[in-house]
Amino acid sequence: MSYFAKIFILLIAATIFPIMAMIVPLIIQPRQPNKEKNSQYECGVDTVGRNIIRYRISYFLYAIIFVVFDVETIFLFPWAVKFNDLGLFALVEMFIFAGILAIGLAYAWKKGALTWK
Amino acid sequence: MNLYVIYPEITVLVLALALIIIDLLLPSEETRRPLGYITILVLSILAISLFWQYHLTISAYFYQGLFYYDNYAIFFKQLFLLAVILTVLFSLQYIDTMKYSSEFYSMILFALTGMMILASANDFLTFFIGLELMTISFYALSGFGLTNKKSSEAAIKYLIIGSLSTAVTLYGISLIYGTAHSFDFAVVCKNPEFFSALGIAGMMMITAGIFFKMSIIPFHMWAPDTYEGAPVPVTGLLAMGSKAAAIAVFMRILFEAFFPAADYFMPVLAVFSAICMIGGNIAAMKQKNIKRMLAYSSIAQAGYMMVGICAASPQGLKGVLFYAFLYVLANTGAFAVVTVVALEKKGTDYEQFTALSQSAPVLAMVMSVSLLSMAGIPPTAGFAGKLYLFMAVVEHGYLWLAFVGFIMSMLSVYYYLKVVRVMYTGKSDGSTITISGAVRAAVLISMTATVVFGVWPQYLSMLTDFAAITFLR
Repeated sequence: MSYFAKIFILLIAATIFPIMAMIVPLIIQPRQPNKEKNSQYECGVDTVGRNIIRYRISYFLYAIIFVVFDVETIFLFPWAVKFNDLGLFALVEMFIFAGILAIGLAYAWKKGALTWK
Repeated sequence: MNLYVIYPEITVLVLALALIIIDLLLPSEETRRPLGYITILVLSILAISLFWQYHLTISAYFYQGLFYYDNYAIFFKQLFLLAVILTVLFSLQYIDTMKYSSEFYSMILFALTGMMILASANDFLTFFIGLELMTISFYALSGFGLTNKKSSEAAIKYLIIGSLSTAVTLYGISLIYGTAHSFDFAVVCKNPEFFSALGIAGMMMITAGIFFKMSIIPFHMWAPDTYEGAPVPVTGLLAMGSKAAAIAVFMRILFEAFFPAADYFMPVLAVFSAICMIGGNIAAMKQKNIKRMLAYSSIAQAGYMMVGICAASPQGLKGVLFYAFLYVLANTGAFAVVTVVALEKKGTDYEQFTALSQSAPVLAMVMSVSLLSMAGIPPTAGFAGKLYLFMAVVEHGYLWLAFVGFIMSMLSVYYYLKVVRVMYTGKSDGSTITISGAVRAAVLISMTATVVFGVWPQYLSMLTDFAAITFLR
């Protein structure tokens, strides 16, 4: 149970800290409001138009294809570190894994997911 | 590492990838029909080869108990294969009308892999992977009617509620891991700490997640909308495959991982089963769309199958296996007819079925036999299935549950026969529906099997006995 008690303490700390970070400034901050300070993006460009706009679906396609390579890297790293101990079987396995991902990429390519329309 | 144990999964997965590659190599204007034929051929060989895998005593593990390969798993694998083969067979024409037909075949095969993994899952991790592989493929499949708003609605609804149930299941698994310090079903059930408040909460959450997949009544809200909107073959597969896979893994979890608590589970399951039979059948009565009616009827069917689980005996399990099998047969018959009508008449309301007996007498006959089998009328297999289920549960002492089942089966005859009445009365508009050879083969196989297993249930019951007895040792 002590193992989970540590997690519980972390949970409480993680809850209290942001609340404190909001309450303490409320108490000690000097209040001098002006127009510039009250605008939504004090340090950025003012927004133009509505915030609900259509994004190109191509962004998401690129993002998904990127995730494919991300996952591949995640698996390749531990495999590469332990390569000498794992032997031939793991080599074949990794080629199968990379092959499946390659099929996925080939599919996306052929279907035109990589061309910006 | 005996890879031989997972050869069905590997075959299906390789087939799915091969279909993608073939699709990339084929010119885009070429028809994708041959991919369907390849799928049917390979899956049929695989299903038949599994008959040689039944063994009396030997059961094999794969990768340190993650994956269990026993008669029970083999039976369910064959059942899923049969469901997919027949579905592909009757929907070849329907799939041709889709924009991405080869992807459709691949996604069905990925879903099939998920179901087959679920049937063998012997570990909560394997269970979760199988469940997700199946469900994510079904999210995509139910949105395959790209030009159809209802199909998108179905997919989004299924995705949102499905993700929620996945989250609940995962949370339950984490609680069980926290108390029992293992994912393995066989280890989990031996840990006494498992029966703490946390462990029981975990059990409930996993059960709720599986009930969602089985569309048991408080968790059924997604089912009618998703069933209505999804393309017809997908609806059929959701009703047979997804449900049967959830039942397969639920029985495995209940009788292995939760075995010490199984006695406490039974009264709860009995109540859920009664609610399902009553609610599903009553809601099905006032539906105007055949797909929605079949959705509610499938909720009721899940209730009937739960009756067998409540019996917690080899007889009850055998009943569930038998019923699941003939439910697949009856469902393929019904959904094959709905697919053809949806293609020809562009709709699945009762009006579209008017005078089907004049435009396509074979389809009307198959539909009638399938629906009568679901209702449990004697010459069909549904009667034998319900007989096994209710006999088992009465032996176990749940007489009231059997009575609810009887009464609800009688009520269900009303709405099943309503479809039959619509098909055999009314004025025909003179059109005839041409049925392709593949559809004819699928419906005739399902109808013949329904009648044969109804008159001679012993052939199928031998197989189910075998699967059930080795499972509940």
